[in-house]
Amino acid sequence: MAASSSDVVRGTLDLLVLRTLTFEPMHGWGISQRIQQLSHGVLDVNQGSLYPALQRLEQKGWIDSDWRVSDNNRRARYYRLTATGRRALHQETVSWRRYVATIDLILGEV
Amino acid sequence: MTGIRILLARLRGLFGKTDSDARLDDEIALHLELETQQRIAAGLSPAEARRQARIAFGAIEAMKEEHRDGRGILWIEDLIADIRHALRALRGAPVLGGAAIITLAVGIGANTAIYSAVSAVILRPLPFADPGRLVMLTEENPDRGWHLNVAAPANYLDWKEQVAAFQDVAAFIPNEGTATLTGPGNPRSVDGISVTGNFFRVLGVPAELGRTFSDQETWDGGPTVAVISDRLWRAQFGATPAIVGRTIHLDGGDIQVAGVMPATFAYPSSSVDMWTPTAWKTSDRSQVFFRRAHFIRPIARLKPGVTLQQANAQLQVVVDRLQHQYPLTNTHMGAEMVPLHDFIIGNTRQPLEILLAAAGLLLLIACANVGNLMLIQAAGRGRETALRLALGAGRGRLVRQGLAENLLLSVIGGSAGLALGWWGTHTLMALEPAGMLPVDNIGVNWHVVTYVIAITLASGLVFGIVPILWTSRRAPGDALKEGGRGAGVGHRMRRWGRFIVVAEVALALLLSIGAGLLVRSFERLERVDPGFDPDGVVAITMNIPGNRYDTTTKVSGFYHDVLGQVGALPDVRSAAVTTTLPLAGGVGWTSDFTAAGRGADGYGTEVAHRTVSPEYFRTMRVPILRGRGFTAADTPDGAQVVVINDALARSYFRGENPIGQRIAFDRVPDSASVWRTVVGVVGDERQSALATVPQIEVITPELQAPSTYMNLMVRTGHDPKAVVGAIRRVVARIDPSIAFTSVQTMNEVRDQSLAHARFLMLLLFSFAGAGLLLGAVGVYGVMAHAARARTREMGIRIALGAQRPAVRWLVLREGLALTAIGVALGIGAALVVCRAMTALLYQTGSTDPVTLVVVPMVLAITALLATWLPATRAARADPVVSLRGE
Repeated sequence: MAASSSDVVRGTLDLLVLRTLTFEPMHGWGISQRIQQLSHGVLDVNQGSLYPALQRLEQKGWIDSDWRVSDNNRRARYYRLTATGRRALHQETVSWRRYVATIDLILGEV
Repeated sequence: MTGIRILLARLRGLFGKTDSDARLDDEIALHLELETQQRIAAGLSPAEARRQARIAFGAIEAMKEEHRDGRGILWIEDLIADIRHALRALRGAPVLGGAAIITLAVGIGANTAIYSAVSAVILRPLPFADPGRLVMLTEENPDRGWHLNVAAPANYLDWKEQVAAFQDVAAFIPNEGTATLTGPGNPRSVDGISVTGNFFRVLGVPAELGRTFSDQETWDGGPTVAVISDRLWRAQFGATPAIVGRTIHLDGGDIQVAGVMPATFAYPSSSVDMWTPTAWKTSDRSQVFFRRAHFIRPIARLKPGVTLQQANAQLQVVVDRLQHQYPLTNTHMGAEMVPLHDFIIGNTRQPLEILLAAAGLLLLIACANVGNLMLIQAAGRGRETALRLALGAGRGRLVRQGLAENLLLSVIGGSAGLALGWWGTHTLMALEPAGMLPVDNIGVNWHVVTYVIAITLASGLVFGIVPILWTSRRAPGDALKEGGRGAGVGHRMRRWGRFIVVAEVALALLLSIGAGLLVRSFERLERVDPGFDPDGVVAITMNIPGNRYDTTTKVSGFYHDVLGQVGALPDVRSAAVTTTLPLAGGVGWTSDFTAAGRGADGYGTEVAHRTVSPEYFRTMRVPILRGRGFTAADTPDGAQVVVINDALARSYFRGENPIGQRIAFDRVPDSASVWRTVVGVVGDERQSALATVPQIEVITPELQAPSTYMNLMVRTGHDPKAVVGAIRRVVARIDPSIAFTSVQTMNEVRDQSLAHARFLMLLLFSFAGAGLLLGAVGVYGVMAHAARARTREMGIRIALGAQRPAVRWLVLREGLALTAIGVALGIGAALVVCRAMTALLYQTGSTDPVTLVVVPMVLAITALLATWLPATRAARADPVVSLRGE
């Protein structure tokens, strides 16, 4: 593991998963790879929490899943963003930005 | 929306577990494979790649568990698992579990039954409109020892008109007795009550059919009308709506039915079938007797917003004024107001409260037993618990599991208890002596069920949670170390066990002392000499219609015929009539009196009046102490004579010879006073009840004071009931329209007089018996467990040379010490608590020495027996087995 990598902040995993799924339907491993990629290797998804997160999001109706044959001819479960999920992502993103901005504001005075 | 979706998904998860598990496995497998491939591509060996892939993934099983939790409805799943586990545990220890369930069922059943009665009598509001504003007005007179007494109608009218806080005041005349309804079918004896015209309006209950009365009907002038009960309407008139306005025949007179009351209305007593207006003569209002005779029960409705205190203050002003205005009748005549509900509950409250407290004690003992069983179980499972803790089980989960076990016991025990209580309630109603509870419809309602559920859960929690908390809080290492064969109970558990023994002994003792006091009191009550010989006497109550028997000659003639012919029946020794049926609860009427030649202060008060026929004293075997009884010569034309009882002779004619003295029934005799000569003194009879000391009494001969409401007393040679048929035929021959109101042997009357006391005693006695049994089981359980836990120690002691009796003593000593503490606490508690029972005890103090010695001894012996068995078993410990264990 890269020394510079850090765990995903608790609570933001859902957001990252949703964001990742905006590109295309993906299976679990693909999602974790994509998050690592997008973060230039900084973020390391704790795989143990990925699947429960996917389950959580599916229960909320934000993502959907079906079984497809993967690139290498394996049966894999592909997750897909739903319309509700897309709206939720937008909202969550807005509130995340506001949160970050607020934290910045406070930290900036130090 | 989202919530429902999650719930549905989770419900699916709950049932489709294996399928989802397999799919998740697929997903993980793929993930790991891809991860491995990636690492192989990066140049690692396949084995190392796979290893690193796994490390990167983290704890697969924990993740799966989390995934599964997210899928199912966690708490339901856990609950099901917990219940399964609890059921398994219960099956594993059926005796222990069964004992706990039976114990709880008994405790909860007793509470259900008693609480049903409490709920019906004390908690249920009266079935009247806004019943909180209804108060009973009573007369209070320290001179006469009156408390909550009936009132004089003139006083009632003054209160009604002069107390502004009263919206209106109604009144009824209690104990009016019965009338005979004739018409189609057999004559039917009907309980009737006279009420003022506003009676139903003040109570706020309209008629179901037709009308009730108007204010004018308090006074006479209108047609003779009646309101009948729903019961009479259905039974006698086939529930026809045409009943309103119909004329019926009551006591030979015509009376018009004005209306029918709803079935829920049964006031002032559940036996009332007919209400008639008082129809007082307007001219009576100014008569002295209207203020002197006390015979009505006024009920006031307070104006909205008026407090009891305000109304009472106003009432007292009026009472004061009346005392000055009418010194002859109202000197020291006070008045009080009591909320109607309290008045109706009256004497029932205390026995019910005591029974509820007893049932509560029983439940506490039951809970202690269950707590003890849980403790034993928890101790037996100490290692299991420790092991599970060591393997990473959450403490919360363990506590929850223990709780589930408790709750399962509670729920099963509670359900059984509810069933038992439902049965108990019905038995209670069936056995309850008439008139003990002022309500008829006692049942297990939602109120009771809520209460039962609450006590069930509480009993499961309170006593179950302590051992669970202890076992789960111990460091697993300690418990495992302690392990090995015959793992010792923790120190705290030992203490808890001791606490349970002490508590059970104390509670069972308190309960038993309460029951013991009632038994002692009942014993004394049963031995009371009523002053007459009840064996072989039958009492028949009948009412002869006043409008046909409208002269004293006709009334006396009727009784003359009846007594003559009944006396001639085979097996009848003698027959007589009396206005007061002894031990039946009342003394007829009372008055002031004075003897000739006494000064202005020489009067007496509250002398009871009774009228009997000459044969009465012989029939009842009441001894004539001085002078003579009555004879057929004591006619209306002869000298007016009376016989007095011994109580009157001794209290009023102290040291004088009462025979030949003349008395009048006035406080201050005047020219209108009738003087009667005392011709005899008879032995005291207990007039109203066995527990009530004989009241001073004046007895007049039937011929000189005939009454239409008499009790026929017949002494027979053999079975008193056997002659009833013949008597019925005799009476029917003389007048076919006369109905018997009641037929009882005097022994039945006497039994009935004891019924309330017996019922209460038996109930408390059975509670105490159950408490004693449960307590003994509990003590046995704790001691047996403690002894078992020390088996190894005992074995070693024996191996080292200890004598077996000494070993037995070791266990016995602990049991006896705990029992002694429990007994001391129990007696201490009884000395304080049982004081509340004083009013229910007959000539028995709440600190009755016999009870306080005998009951603790019984209890101590029981506890000793319960300890003896485990002690003996401990003494038999085999040193070889014990030492091999080391």
